[in-house]
Amino acid sequence: MWSRPIWVMVMLELSDVTIRYGQHLAVDRVSATVAPGETVVILGANGAGKTSLLKAISGIITAQPGSAIRFQDCDVTGTPAHEITGAGIALVPEGRGLFGGMTVRDNLRLGANPARARALEKERLELVHDLFPRLAERQGQIVRTMSGGEQQMVAIARALMSNPDLLLLDEPSLGLAPIVVQELFRALARIRETGVGLLIVEQNVRLSLGIADRGYLMEAGRLTGEGSADDLLTDDAVQNAFLGTVS
Amino acid sequence: MLIDTLITGLVAGGTYALVAMGLTIQFGISRIMNLAHGDTIIAACFASFILFSVFGLSPILALMIVVPAGYVLSDAIYRLIMRPLVARAPNAGALEVDSILVTFGLLFVIQGVLLVAFGGNYTGYTFLNTPVDLFGTIVAANRLLALFLALVFGITLIFVLSRTRWGMTLRAVSIAPENAPLVGIDINRAARTAFALGGALAATAGVVVSMYQTFTATIGVIFTMKALIVVILGGKGSLTGALIGGLLLGLVETFVAAYIDPGLTLAATYTIFLLLLILRPTGFFGQAG
Ligand SMILES: Nc1ncnc2c1ncn2[C@@H]1O[C@H](COP(=O)(O)OP(=O)(O)O)[C@@H](O)[C@H]1O
Ligand SMILES: [Mg+2]
Repeated sequence: MWSRPIWVMVMLELSDVTIRYGQHLAVDRVSATVAPGETVVILGANGAGKTSLLKAISGIITAQPGSAIRFQDCDVTGTPAHEITGAGIALVPEGRGLFGGMTVRDNLRLGANPARARALEKERLELVHDLFPRLAERQGQIVRTMSGGEQQMVAIARALMSNPDLLLLDEPSLGLAPIVVQELFRALARIRETGVGLLIVEQNVRLSLGIADRGYLMEAGRLTGEGSADDLLTDDAVQNAFLGTVS
Repeated sequence: MLIDTLITGLVAGGTYALVAMGLTIQFGISRIMNLAHGDTIIAACFASFILFSVFGLSPILALMIVVPAGYVLSDAIYRLIMRPLVARAPNAGALEVDSILVTFGLLFVIQGVLLVAFGGNYTGYTFLNTPVDLFGTIVAANRLLALFLALVFGITLIFVLSRTRWGMTLRAVSIAPENAPLVGIDINRAARTAFALGGALAATAGVVVSMYQTFTATIGVIFTMKALIVVILGGKGSLTGALIGGLLLGLVETFVAAYIDPGLTLAATYTIFLLLLILRPTGFFGQAG
């Protein structure tokens, strides 16, 4: 794909990203990378700063001076949220961020609103319906009336409609029944096969590492560990830290 | 008598619908409660009066000048006055309160300029005042044209906002402004567009009103008040609600005036308004959340 030059070995590069809410230090000099087409998981307990990090990448909040966020050879630090989607980063936020009073069809059409996606709307819609056949059947349904799992599908599908190079997912499995979570991760595995990069924030260690290439551990605003997905799966520290949340 | 009242009610209602649609777009998308909306309408009335009596331009052609002018001027007002408010407002609620105060001031500025330029007397012009026989009732052609124009503009707008991608982005901002940037929507730009669009609708309403009734520099507030009632009647932010609510208000007013007592028009309006506020505060087409 022309929009993904092969010489860029690092697609997303975070250097010393620091986030404060007033006096409160939420993210402390985090540096991390995602390569093109790579799937990376950030594992961490509640309050670790995972959501804040994703919000800073997607321009919803501004990181502190000294932070640098580079995406595909562009400095996107401080780029406003509505321009980030156009640059090729799509966020599926905590709480899904859908337009609840609108239909599935309208939500997906809005997903293709950024200029980079408009001409591709038809192809993207086919891809998305292929990934989530249920959405093809429910096009006219008002999103608010759908189950949590179905809404999460709409949220992911809407993000994919923008033809992203990197998809950010903030705890996609949160609040879903175990069987729905399984289905969700199967879908994510197939999305990964399409070549899009994935940065997933999760508390579900086993399933998320199961589809990932690499993972980072995050505690109290800092990255405290990093490794290949396979290594992390067998790592004692990970096992201990997340024993309570392993599914 | 019945047909006559029905037509009169629909004509008034069509105007109310247009007026309310402008207000509800500005409120739903820009989060600005524009108390100067009615005065924008009256300014447009005077504009078409000038175009007609000085330049001999028919109101139909005046629409092509006054409506774009309404858009451009409202856009300028947004950039000049509203943007600083938006920039400093910590949340939508604060912006709504600030905008009420500022547009209350704007109301008197527009009214003052109109009073100086045109005085305080009733003004009007005669256009297409030819009788038309409608099911045995004689109706002035300008009223029928006014109703037709109001419906065409109103329905076109509803169609554009619900079917086009551009309209969909505006609706998305009114439904969940915090989520709009996720799909690449610049909410500040959408707010400015919506405010300007509301101004264009006010201008349309002004030209339409001037075709069949007289007006003074000071009656703008009546239009604002009725638009407010219609907006709450139809559900805040709902264009279909504004269209149907407007027609309904026009009909109720006219029927009460014709069959009960003209003095009770306002009382009837407020009774409906109060009942609705108590029984269904989200309006006919409004939805909570
Ligand atoms: N809007 C906010 N205002 C103040 N503090 C916040 C805000 N959002 C998050 N925080 C704080 O920042 C820290 C990190 O939060 P968050 O990024 O949501 O973590 P996580 O997603 O890992 O649970 C927490 O201590 C949280 O209380
Ligand atoms: Mg979180």
